[in-house]
Amino acid sequence: MNTKLKVSKVSKIYPGCIANDNVSLNFQSGKIYALLGENGAGKSTLVKILSGVINPDKGQIFLNDKLLKLTSPKDAKNNNIGMVFQHFNLFETLSVFENLSIDNEKNNHQLRILINNILKKYNFKIDLDVPILNLSAGQKQKVEIVRCLIRNPKVLIMDEPTSVLTEQETEDLFLSLKKFSKEGILIIYITHKLKEVLSLCDEVAVMRKGKVVSISRTVDEELSSLANKMIGENLNKIKKIASNNLSGEEILKVSRLNFNSEDPYEVNLVDINFTLNKGECLGIAGISGNGQNELFQILSGETLSNNGSIKFRSKEISKLNPKERREYLMAFSPEDRISQAAVPSLKIYENVALNNFKTSNFFEKGLFNERKIKDHSKKILSNFSVNTDNVNLKSQFLSGGNLQKLILGRELITSPELLICFNPTWGLDVGAINYIHQTLVKINEQGKSIILISTNNDELLQLSDRISVINKGKLSKIMSAEEVNPEKLGLLMGGGLVD
Amino acid sequence: MNIDINFLGILIGAIMASSVPLILAASGELITERSGVLNLGVEGMMIIGAISGFALMVITDNLFLAIIGSMLSGLLLSFIFGFLTQSLLTNHVATGLALTIFGIGLSAMIGKDFVGIPGKQFPLLFVNLKEAIPFFGPIFFGHSIVFYFAFLLPFGTNYFLKKTKIGLIVRAVGDSPLSAANQGINVLLVRYCCILYGGAMCGLGGAYLSLIYTPQWIENMTAGRGWIALALVVFATWSPLKVLVGAIIFGGITILQLHMQAMGIRIPVQFLSALPYIMTIVVLVIISRDSRKIKLNTPTSLGQIFYKEK
Repeated sequence: MNTKLKVSKVSKIYPGCIANDNVSLNFQSGKIYALLGENGAGKSTLVKILSGVINPDKGQIFLNDKLLKLTSPKDAKNNNIGMVFQHFNLFETLSVFENLSIDNEKNNHQLRILINNILKKYNFKIDLDVPILNLSAGQKQKVEIVRCLIRNPKVLIMDEPTSVLTEQETEDLFLSLKKFSKEGILIIYITHKLKEVLSLCDEVAVMRKGKVVSISRTVDEELSSLANKMIGENLNKIKKIASNNLSGEEILKVSRLNFNSEDPYEVNLVDINFTLNKGECLGIAGISGNGQNELFQILSGETLSNNGSIKFRSKEISKLNPKERREYLMAFSPEDRISQAAVPSLKIYENVALNNFKTSNFFEKGLFNERKIKDHSKKILSNFSVNTDNVNLKSQFLSGGNLQKLILGRELITSPELLICFNPTWGLDVGAINYIHQTLVKINEQGKSIILISTNNDELLQLSDRISVINKGKLSKIMSAEEVNPEKLGLLMGGGLVD
Repeated sequence: MNIDINFLGILIGAIMASSVPLILAASGELITERSGVLNLGVEGMMIIGAISGFALMVITDNLFLAIIGSMLSGLLLSFIFGFLTQSLLTNHVATGLALTIFGIGLSAMIGKDFVGIPGKQFPLLFVNLKEAIPFFGPIFFGHSIVFYFAFLLPFGTNYFLKKTKIGLIVRAVGDSPLSAANQGINVLLVRYCCILYGGAMCGLGGAYLSLIYTPQWIENMTAGRGWIALALVVFATWSPLKVLVGAIIFGGITILQLHMQAMGIRIPVQFLSALPYIMTIVVLVIISRDSRKIKLNTPTSLGQIFYKEK
């Protein structure tokens, strides 16, 4: 059973953007293909075309030399093309079995036997009669995969499948995909994660701005070469020069800070003590859910601690709200860009206006000073290379990377003395991560201080002057960056003791 | 004692009859909402059903045609709603409210010439059994065909939603129209059908009032029943059988409080009049308090505008 899929000169043009520009690709069964590209490179458009969700403006698709007419998702299904979308296409309130039976002509009894056979064969453990909303993300994805397998797919397309999975679930998924590939299913794997391409795929096509810029075998590639192809320029290696001007000028001093939450799902903070000097970056590492959220909220003033003190330039600020703290030139970039840092349904300039300082004069007698806000927003967009200059654009249309640049820009344009950021590069592609890291290094060099709470150890080791680990709401001893290595971090994060 | 029991039977029969329009309209609206469409035009569609049924009865002298006509007029009105919300993507809430206002106004205009015309006796089934069996007779027999249809409808609706493929598709569309479209389901077609079905049932509910329950045309004769039907659907958490329970409680307390008023019990009339609304909501909230079930029954996409990517 040899399957050949050919994409020939496919173009899709949206107003103001060429999503796919003359894309031609050849795929053959027995191999796992990666389609690599940054957010907005056109990968998702291409797979939506392959699955019949949207129609191309130009170009053809051939399956085993037969021209396919894919005008609806049904056509893709009938031609044995299976697709697992990044955002699951499941009905949350229906049971697993109902989800699987909805587009199937077989009678329920036969279908149940068929599904049970598939579950057994690939060792998937899913209860067919529970509603989808009770399942974990990994299980939901398995349901999607089973939905494809029921139809004996020749082609299986996975769109950024690991973005919602835990590490264990990712490993399981890779094993399954390799198994499918051995059984002759052609697998197309869409991702922006370089490591996954190298560990899973045989061939890789890189897309950039709607075009295929390179097709190669993964054995001939390495992380840096793929990254450069994806970005289209050589990534500047970020080099943190150890801040030598740690003059000891104290910016922030946190002492004997405790936080007891009434919410059983929150972590209590126990006796937090640290100081932060001018021009320094303090990294706080830890496995997510060990109190990072609570620490960020207390430092930013979203919640107040039960006791203890936070002193900013020797002024007590622990009872101030975020707005008042901002007036002292502190800036905050929360983890959740969409719901905490920005309001997605508001326009860019409106989101900028949310950060309203006494000195910024955005409002006059309670009315919007639109000109002023828009000028200010334009300055942010250009200074922080957000890829639009339209301040009237709704923020929800920005990609994650651009939204993060906007948020950082909004926080930094007032030249704050201290930036507290929480997972600033979470979910971003390599280019955006690189930009944000550069920005953070730059503000350190300007003598501003940073508290970087992150679950990404590479990032912490790259950017921090000193590092502490948070575990079950307690901070470890603060170590200088030179004395820390990944192994030591890992040990501390897991609660192991190091002296 | 015998007389008392028979009176009780007649009372229960009357309660059931009074809940028929609510059951019909609420069952129809339930299907519409299960597909993710919130049509607040129930009152408007009912009143249009009432006047067109009555007018057709007067003009053609044919009750069958009158019933069919009332359903068609409800369906026509809901088609306007469907076209606006599904094809032109207008807001469900605003469009539904407009539909109600439109229906009330239009029915008053059509109805001008029909005020004061006496209705016609609607054929009742099993009348001899009603007399013959004490207590149960007046409850179960001597009603119109629409009555029996209404009481079977919630069971049918329940079966349709839970056991049939099309019912599954309706629920899927209400859960996530985008996923449904990506599965190759024609979301617009499903939603249109559900809207039209809801409209027809509301029309029938209205016609029951003007042709069977109080056979005459009175302006604004639905008197807020459409809104009650809407509330029933929500408080019954989109479960057809709970809608039935709610409708009977509402009808029951409405009739009981009328009797209490007639008996001169010293409770303020305003309180008695408000009682059916309060009790129905209290009971439905109590029987639907399983939050897991609520989550599973609530159409997630309710009231959201859906459009397909091109």
